[in-house]
Amino acid sequence: MSDTTEDEFLADLQATVGASGTPQVARDPVNEATIRDWCDAMGEANPLFTDWEAAQAGPHGGLVAPPAMLNVWTMAGLHLGRRPTRDPRDPNAGAYGKLDAAGFTSVVATNSEQVYHRYLRPGDLLTGTQKLVDVSPEKKTGLGIGHFVTTETEYHDQHGEHVGSLFFRILKFRPGTGRGKPPDPRREKLLEMRLDADAILDTGPRPQRPRPKFNQDQAWFWEGLRKNELRIQRFTDTGRLVHPPANANPATGAMDYDWVVASGRATLYSYAVPHHPEVPSFDYPLVVGLVELEEGVRLVTNIVGCAPDQLEIGMPLQLGFVDTHDDVTLHQFHPAAPPRTEHARSFDDVAEGDALPLTAIPLDPLLIVSTALATRDFQDVHHDRDAAVKKGSKDIFMNILTTSGICNRWIGDWAGDAAVFKNLKIQLGAPNYPYDLMSLTGSVTGTRVEDDEGIVELGFVGKNKLGAHVTGTAELALPRKGA
Amino acid sequence: MTLQFARQTAIAGIGATEFSKDSGRTPMQLATEACLAACADAGLDPSLVDGMVTYSSEKNPEIEVARNLGITKLTHFSQTPHGGGAACGVVAQAAMAVYSGAADYVLCYRAFNERSWHRFGQGVQGQHQTPEAFDVSFSWTSPFGLFTPAQWVAMFATRYMHEYGATSEDFGRVAVTDRAHAANNPAAFFYERPITLDEHQESRWIVEPLHLLDCCQESDGGVAILVTSAERAADLAQPAAVLAGAAQGVAEDQHMMRSYYREVITGLPEMGVCAAQLWEASGLGPGDIQTATIYDHFTPLVLPQLEEFGFCDTGDARHFIADGNIDLGGRLPINTNGGQLGEAYIHGMNGIAEAVRQVRGTSVNQVPDVENVLVTAGTGVPTSALILSQPA
Repeated sequence: MSDTTEDEFLADLQATVGASGTPQVARDPVNEATIRDWCDAMGEANPLFTDWEAAQAGPHGGLVAPPAMLNVWTMAGLHLGRRPTRDPRDPNAGAYGKLDAAGFTSVVATNSEQVYHRYLRPGDLLTGTQKLVDVSPEKKTGLGIGHFVTTETEYHDQHGEHVGSLFFRILKFRPGTGRGKPPDPRREKLLEMRLDADAILDTGPRPQRPRPKFNQDQAWFWEGLRKNELRIQRFTDTGRLVHPPANANPATGAMDYDWVVASGRATLYSYAVPHHPEVPSFDYPLVVGLVELEEGVRLVTNIVGCAPDQLEIGMPLQLGFVDTHDDVTLHQFHPAAPPRTEHARSFDDVAEGDALPLTAIPLDPLLIVSTALATRDFQDVHHDRDAAVKKGSKDIFMNILTTSGICNRWIGDWAGDAAVFKNLKIQLGAPNYPYDLMSLTGSVTGTRVEDDEGIVELGFVGKNKLGAHVTGTAELALPRKGA
Repeated sequence: MTLQFARQTAIAGIGATEFSKDSGRTPMQLATEACLAACADAGLDPSLVDGMVTYSSEKNPEIEVARNLGITKLTHFSQTPHGGGAACGVVAQAAMAVYSGAADYVLCYRAFNERSWHRFGQGVQGQHQTPEAFDVSFSWTSPFGLFTPAQWVAMFATRYMHEYGATSEDFGRVAVTDRAHAANNPAAFFYERPITLDEHQESRWIVEPLHLLDCCQESDGGVAILVTSAERAADLAQPAAVLAGAAQGVAEDQHMMRSYYREVITGLPEMGVCAAQLWEASGLGPGDIQTATIYDHFTPLVLPQLEEFGFCDTGDARHFIADGNIDLGGRLPINTNGGQLGEAYIHGMNGIAEAVRQVRGTSVNQVPDVENVLVTAGTGVPTSALILSQPA
């Protein structure tokens, strides 16, 4: 498009900025079943959301919905076979339609800023009224060339009470116009040195890791990993556990053994961070850990979901698995979920600079698909790999409502069940693809007392292998001592 | 159990090629040159050599070397496994052969183009592909990206730092000392090139917590040692360096540089097995040693060696080093040739040659009044150690 037509197109897109659309009434009231599905998918364990009895005694005097579910209730739903057409007078739908028609058919959400006036209770029937706030000029992004569309939605209950609002931004882009692969630092370094990066790096398919060699003395170990079981050799005469496996009980000489399946709980005993030689079959930074299983034996493994500077000897770890060859699965460990703070963390015990515990979330396909559905987001890119690939993505990826939900859960696990979120604001970067991990870290950026409430301000980031998936802030009220 | 050959055998000759990054000739040529040099040093006709001991990792077969040397018969030939752990082990094997009467003059040698041909530091990934036990043992580490000697050592180093409060600077002081000694040694890689602790700290990571300057440089070169009886040595050209003891050691739950499964992994119990034998056989103790070659392919494992031999308490090596004890003029100057960090990495054999020079009084960094010199071999692996003394 020439500048003139581009300007005209933008003016057309921006014509309805400031206008509000038709109020959308939720299909169903806030309800326990949907809350429970959401909590199950997110790993949310706060009983105030699901346990009637506990909730009665809680700060809300009854069951409430997780705050990050705010925009779940008015989601359009699946409507297979009879998808409702959007009201063309809806400014948002209007802008979408024009962008679709101009070839900007792909969509990805980039920002979600939820503000909560009160927690929602089962029975609340929400109405969302969406205003078009901005349509950006054409932008070149990593995903593709497109326009950012910003909306603001106000939510009211059936009595007209203003319960919350959502500031939301999406990118509508032309598929296939993005950068493709994320920049490879090795490649950039080679180019800086004026070397032929393509010749040096692109030597065919990525080499595989060194392949474990075994014989019948250890076959059971590697067969176990294929079944996602970490097996530890046990000599049956004395019950002694041995790793690496031996041919006889070192204490007795007895040769009969079976195995126990490791619980998966371990602690970090030592580690090494290899830099040189850099071998293309590994992702760097690479962390090799020596972990002590709770059963008492040690083994060498990889530590994932944790930057080298976050390693601490003694840190609790959790077992995971990774398929490295068609017929080889390896064990790997990531930081274990920190224990939940039950009841309430007190405002008086929180200070600026306090760290939230590092938490690594394994991004299983099940998590990505089940959370998309639990947030009532039926976009195919969140559950259908073929469709996602067709739209220029390398795989399915996590939807933004889930990122909000996981941040909600992670912060809540630290803050305690009685914490009350005031807002949760996130910006997305690198997509969360399956088989990766997202590591959340954060800290208290401020505290204040407002209207007699102790408000804690948090800043956080969730990183995956590609970079920062989410950066965000949140504010929540914590109970004050003696209040 | 005691080493009956203690003080009955001696090192009578040492020989070496130059040390370089590219020898420009074959390892076989280097082995031949080093062996001829050791015989020439001792003033022995090479054809009289009747025993040869080398490393199982040596690629130059003794029959080829024997052929080059015009040796007419070999009555003892053997090999010692586990890389640099064999360094003093080959001498122990030679001494046992001599003491038992299996041979009179035994050459121990190690020669390789470990820089210009095959570099150990590149790792074992892609090797060890059979289902035999030794190859299988790498499956517990290599698939996870732990496949170089530096990486294997790093795992021990991190835990040592955690338990004893040692730092990268404590490791760095070993490199600074070695390089200071190498700076005086014209045969060393790093002749006239000392380093500072800051330079150590600023050198790039190889594998955290090891910097580049914690790691020895892979080298091309060859070294040979001639072992015979103390009695015969007295009739040869050089003053004898008497073997007060030479011992090998493996400890419980031993693995090849990856003994990570023991209750404690901050010590080197296999070195402790060697120490106990040497002190018993020689009747000596730490206070009787004036200088030592402490195996230093990587700095971190120098510390537990000093502890295993009782030069300082467990966990205190960092203070022992920081107080200057391992420097020239200190309580126990180590690696006066520059060590493997400073002179060259010839799998420990060049350190034995340096210990012989200290006994003879011919080191470029001669320690005064040397009576007994300790030499240790590769760490983390099944290992060995020896003590050389002045002749009676």
